[in-house]
Amino acid sequence: MSNITKGRELTFSILKYNPRDPESRPRFVEFKMYETTGMTLFIVLSKIREEMDADLSFDFVCRAGICGSCGMLVNGKPLLACRTLTADYPDGNIQIMPMPAFELIKDLSVNTGKWMDAMSMRVESWIHTNEVHDISALEDKVDPDIADETFELDRCIECGLCITSCGTALMRPDFIGPAGLNRVARFQIDPHDNRTNEDFYELVGDDDGIFGCMTLLACEDHCPKHLPLQQKIAYMRRKLVSVK
Amino acid sequence: MKIIYCDALVIGGGLAGLRAAVATQTSGLNTIVLSLVPVKRSHSAAAQGGMQASLGNAKMSQGDSEDVHFIDTVKGSDWGCDQDVARMFVNTAPKAIRELASWGVPWTRVRKGVHEAVINTEKTTIVEDDEAHGLITSRDFGGTKKWRTCYTADATGHTMLFGVANEAMKHKVDIRDRKEALSLIHENSVCYGAIVRDLITGELEAYVAKGTLISTGGYGRLYQTTTNAVICEGTGQAAALETGIATLGNMEAVQFHPTPIVPSGILLTEGCRGDGGVLRDVDGYRFMPDYEPEKKDLASRDVVSRRMMEHIRKGKGVPSEFGDHLWLDISILGREHIEKNLRDVQEIAEQFNGIDPADEGAAGWLPVRPAQHYSMGGIRTNATGESQTLSGLFSCGEAACWDMHGFNRLGGNSVSETVVAGMIVGSYFADYCDTHDTVISTKTVHKELKKQDSYLDEILSRADGEDIFPIKKRMQEIMDEDVGIFRNGDGLKNAVDELQELLTRSKKAVVKSKARAGNPELEEAYRVPRMLKLALCVAYGGLLRTESRGAHYREDYLKRDDKNWLNRTLTTWADEDATLPEVNYEELDIMKMEIPPAFRGYGAKGMTVEHELSEKRQEEVDALKEKFEAEGKDRFEIQDALMEYGLPKNYKDTNERLGVGRE
Amino acid sequence: MSNIIEGYLGVTPDTRKSRLPARLDWWQSATGLFLGLFMWGHMFFVSTILISKDFMYQVTRFFEGSFIFDEPKPILVSMIVFIVFAIFIVHAALALRKFPTNYRQYKIMKTHTVVLNHDDTKLWFVQAYTGFAMFFLGSIHLYTVMTQADKIGPYASADRVVSDWMWPLYILLLLAVELHGSIGLYRLAVKWGWFDGKNPKAARKRLKKIKWAVTVFFLTLGFVTLAAYIKIGIEHKDNYGERYHPSKIVKMPSCCLHQGGVV
Ligand SMILES: Cc1cc2nc3c(=O)[nH]c(=O)nc-3n(C[C@H](O)[C@H](O)[C@H](O)COP(=O)(O)OP(=O)(O)OC[C@H]3O[C@@H](n4cnc5c(N)ncnc54)[C@H](O)[C@@H]3O)c2cc1C
Ligand code: HEM
Ligand code: HEM
Ligand code: SF4
Ligand code: F3S
Ligand code: FES
Repeated sequence: MSNITKGRELTFSILKYNPRDPESRPRFVEFKMYETTGMTLFIVLSKIREEMDADLSFDFVCRAGICGSCGMLVNGKPLLACRTLTADYPDGNIQIMPMPAFELIKDLSVNTGKWMDAMSMRVESWIHTNEVHDISALEDKVDPDIADETFELDRCIECGLCITSCGTALMRPDFIGPAGLNRVARFQIDPHDNRTNEDFYELVGDDDGIFGCMTLLACEDHCPKHLPLQQKIAYMRRKLVSVK
Repeated sequence: MKIIYCDALVIGGGLAGLRAAVATQTSGLNTIVLSLVPVKRSHSAAAQGGMQASLGNAKMSQGDSEDVHFIDTVKGSDWGCDQDVARMFVNTAPKAIRELASWGVPWTRVRKGVHEAVINTEKTTIVEDDEAHGLITSRDFGGTKKWRTCYTADATGHTMLFGVANEAMKHKVDIRDRKEALSLIHENSVCYGAIVRDLITGELEAYVAKGTLISTGGYGRLYQTTTNAVICEGTGQAAALETGIATLGNMEAVQFHPTPIVPSGILLTEGCRGDGGVLRDVDGYRFMPDYEPEKKDLASRDVVSRRMMEHIRKGKGVPSEFGDHLWLDISILGREHIEKNLRDVQEIAEQFNGIDPADEGAAGWLPVRPAQHYSMGGIRTNATGESQTLSGLFSCGEAACWDMHGFNRLGGNSVSETVVAGMIVGSYFADYCDTHDTVISTKTVHKELKKQDSYLDEILSRADGEDIFPIKKRMQEIMDEDVGIFRNGDGLKNAVDELQELLTRSKKAVVKSKARAGNPELEEAYRVPRMLKLALCVAYGGLLRTESRGAHYREDYLKRDDKNWLNRTLTTWADEDATLPEVNYEELDIMKMEIPPAFRGYGAKGMTVEHELSEKRQEEVDALKEKFEAEGKDRFEIQDALMEYGLPKNYKDTNERLGVGRE
Repeated sequence: MSNIIEGYLGVTPDTRKSRLPARLDWWQSATGLFLGLFMWGHMFFVSTILISKDFMYQVTRFFEGSFIFDEPKPILVSMIVFIVFAIFIVHAALALRKFPTNYRQYKIMKTHTVVLNHDDTKLWFVQAYTGFAMFFLGSIHLYTVMTQADKIGPYASADRVVSDWMWPLYILLLLAVELHGSIGLYRLAVKWGWFDGKNPKAARKRLKKIKWAVTVFFLTLGFVTLAAYIKIGIEHKDNYGERYHPSKIVKMPSCCLHQGGVV
């Protein structure tokens, strides 16, 4: 891997701040490095930590756009840093900030897990049923289309990009957010879940839930998994507004 | 410094850990799960291809059964597995998948009527039965006789992980993330929990429990090019190793996957080839049939990976600035299929390489080269999942050497193992916690806390020395170069020597920031020496094992040597200052095997040094089978007579199948 | 009692969540939809002046009940305005729930709108600003036309626009209402998924295009109309207060007497 071509010089401006350290002040710090083929922000940040600033905190797990760990604001856009290519920034200036809406841990690291767990508990993100299934007997049949549709919504990786891009969620921290509304829609469709629309109303039938959404649609436009958020939020709104 | 008490402590919140936690929590034990990252981000989420379970619903999987799955697994393992455990596994896998279905995992279902599949580059028409409509379907995967790999498009691990995590939340399992287990608390060869570092506050905490289960996944990051997540650093295994009591099994058994994309090393699922994709060389030529006329591109992973490297060595690789690679061609599957069933693959290719694999012809070919993928080795346990030497310590999932994979695991058998072991081991683990008390003096707990505390202080106090990052990098390079797909005595010897030196150096590495919290370099500084210990177990075990078995391939010992090496490597690390593990071996008893060692059915023939008992046992097995069949016994009774095995709960019940019932 | 219970405990006595938030959301949309569509009609109505003073006059008379009564009944118009005004107030009250309510909320939304640079989020900000402006602009206009319903017509309106200094207000109100209304109608469509069809993403793109077309159309129409009133208003400045008489009557008084009325 030694003969990798050396490209143009890139400038990174990265927000550093440790809210737990009383001495720390939020500030942008600049780093410069040469571009290589197929360079992603995962490569960039790892390199910065290894060679320039060992103290820089950030989160990566899968580095393949699968686990949802690495949401950041890159030149203002919420993106999965691991699959953001430097080549997409023609002027070579890249500003990286932690995602708002989540508790800041340090530098680029935010506590999305905490937010998502709270959301999951709120919408009771699990199958509700009274049936006890005999696991050595044949599984229940599910229409292939319904299974696909449920899967489509189950693809959310809890990255939080939708939350960060949703102005409502930023203004109102109690708003369940697009990811939460999507989760409700996911269980609403799943035939294994016996909850009725009345039950879902109890979970999200208020201004912190489905009726808090102002249809800003930034969620739809920034979800890295291209979940049909626009369509499903509208669907849930129609269902829940008609609950008697 | 806090002490936190619970009944069952689960370290690692991937599929295996969470499923085990559900088992303990639902049996009334107060359970805590610890994880480095939010549990839904565990590496299990990355599994794309699927989960093996012999449901036999789809046309191409009809006739499947536990027996066929068992044979595939044993052959896949190159007879290195524990056949009891493999039996426990295959019988529980269908239950696991059905349980997951009821927990909401949206398995892709059989659709009645005609659909097309690409088999052997030929478009083939398959007609699914009406009765199967809506049942869980399955696809083809390497090393299996039947289409047995169940899936949710290509995000199987993700949906499984969310399903299990949701279930754990439902039962109010206490899940705590951004917590790292550093070491285990033990007294009189009994384990009572762990010393844990909070990765946000930097605080140390002692978790004291009746029983402890480690399910921290694999150790792929010992290597430079790996499909594994950056958190797969084997720190759980290292914690067990550092007790000096618990043993690690078969650490040299490391699997390389044929088709990670170049250069990022991100995996392109085996489902690509399972669905009909093929490998091509620099001339666009499909070379696998030349090497493996029968299974072709779908021979087991170790075989395909080696054949690819062999072909590259013959000068047939495609040169690139990141080294030679080969092509994976899925464009022949057609755009519709790719956009529906291999969407993540398409996304990865587009995002990271700017290639749309659905583009016809060479434009859509993906650059691939084998890379580290799976750790067969791990914390050695007996069939109940408990360490053989440190009681109260359980392990399951990729972290464990339970051992159903032996020297090579089949695609789709791993996520399957995680949930199955989560059920079985989780159940035994619950029994253990239920029947044992926490009898440990707080003095011991404090001593261990103090020890880790002073260790961190000591690291921070080092005034000068070298950086930790280059040491880690060098370790990863050595592992790639000398402990990779092809191994030989000289290389392994070099590796062992240099890794020892790195270990010594790593203990003096200096950390620039002196903060106890929010200091990523400090984390590297205490992790890397632990990783080096594991790397030494791998390299040293590989050096000593003078045979080729499964994924462990020695160019200087090409044959599988059942005569001398039908055993399991056990490493311990009793002396903290030592730079090498102690290595022992555990023999595998041929006379208890249901399938005694034989030819795997792929790879070259005549490459085995036979054990004299293999033939004897085969005759015994044949005779017994014949006798029982004559007596009209069913397949379960015959199996039981050949090799008895136990299972907790109702997991031994026979599995119902479409059209055959419970036969 | 149930009011006290829900008020303090946040649950109704049968431990159900209140259905009111659903109703409020529905009413927000219903009032928005009504106002949005009403404004289309309204713009066509006032722009009749572009066709001719007579036509505008006739339409005005129509609203004053010319199809039933011989005498103009401006009270009818006052009643219509009253209803619209009420709906307007309800809509505004409901919309209040959505506004930033403290500095922190305003600051983060403002920063976000600038930094994210996302179309629909920016449009929302426009909607909030224009909505806020209409609290005042809209109220003044509505109060005026409600209380002076008799002073609507080619000359009366033009006088109001020019001599009563309403034109600056109308310019602002026109901008506000057209932006607000067309964005609002677009948002309504995506909010409830009305035209989703098979491909909601494509549908949204199309709706967005239509939205801009509608905005441009009504703004153009509005400004041209306003220009017409201003022109008339300036010409009519010296005769402020004089009411318009249909040209037929002015030019052919005898004829009109024959026919015994207008129209
Ligand atoms: C790219 C890829 C694709 C794969 N595809 C398939 C497939 O299609 N089919 C298949 O069968 N298998 C597949 N596998 C293998 C399979 O995904 C893994 O073997 C399996 O998911 C491991 O699960 P686990 O629960 O054992 O560990 P993991 O899911 O890795 O979880 C480990 C957990 O331990 C925690 N942890 C680690 N160290 C510590 C510590 N020190 N303290 C506290 N917590 C800790 C982590 O935070 C995490 O929660 C694939 C693997 C990879 C890399
Ligand atoms: C005082 C005057 C007004 C205020 C304060 C106001 C405010 C708002 C606000 C803030 C919204 C966004 C609601 C949301 O995000 O859910 C909105 C929506 C809307 N407004 Fe207004 N508005 C006013 C007058 C009008 C008028 C005159 C019209 C007619 C053109 C109108 C039409 C709409 C429409 C169609 C919507 C979309 C409804 C929905 O999203 O449910 N509004 N208004
Ligand atoms: C039933 C209710 C309404 C009636 C009868 C009415 C009537 C009129 C009339 C007669 C005019 C011409 C100018 C004038 O006479 O002053 C006018 C202009 C205007 N009205 Fe209204 N109006 C009503 C409601 C509204 C509402 C709710 C709005 C928006 C909030 C609005 C916005 C405007 C604007 C912007 C103009 C200037 C248009 C132009 O010149 O292009 N009106 N209205
Ligand atoms: S809905 Fe999309 S953006 Fe939001 S958390 Fe899920 S995957 Fe991320
Ligand atoms: S961005 Fe937010 S306001 Fe609604 S449509 Fe999406 S949740
Ligand atoms: S690191 Fe997993 S999505 Fe980026």
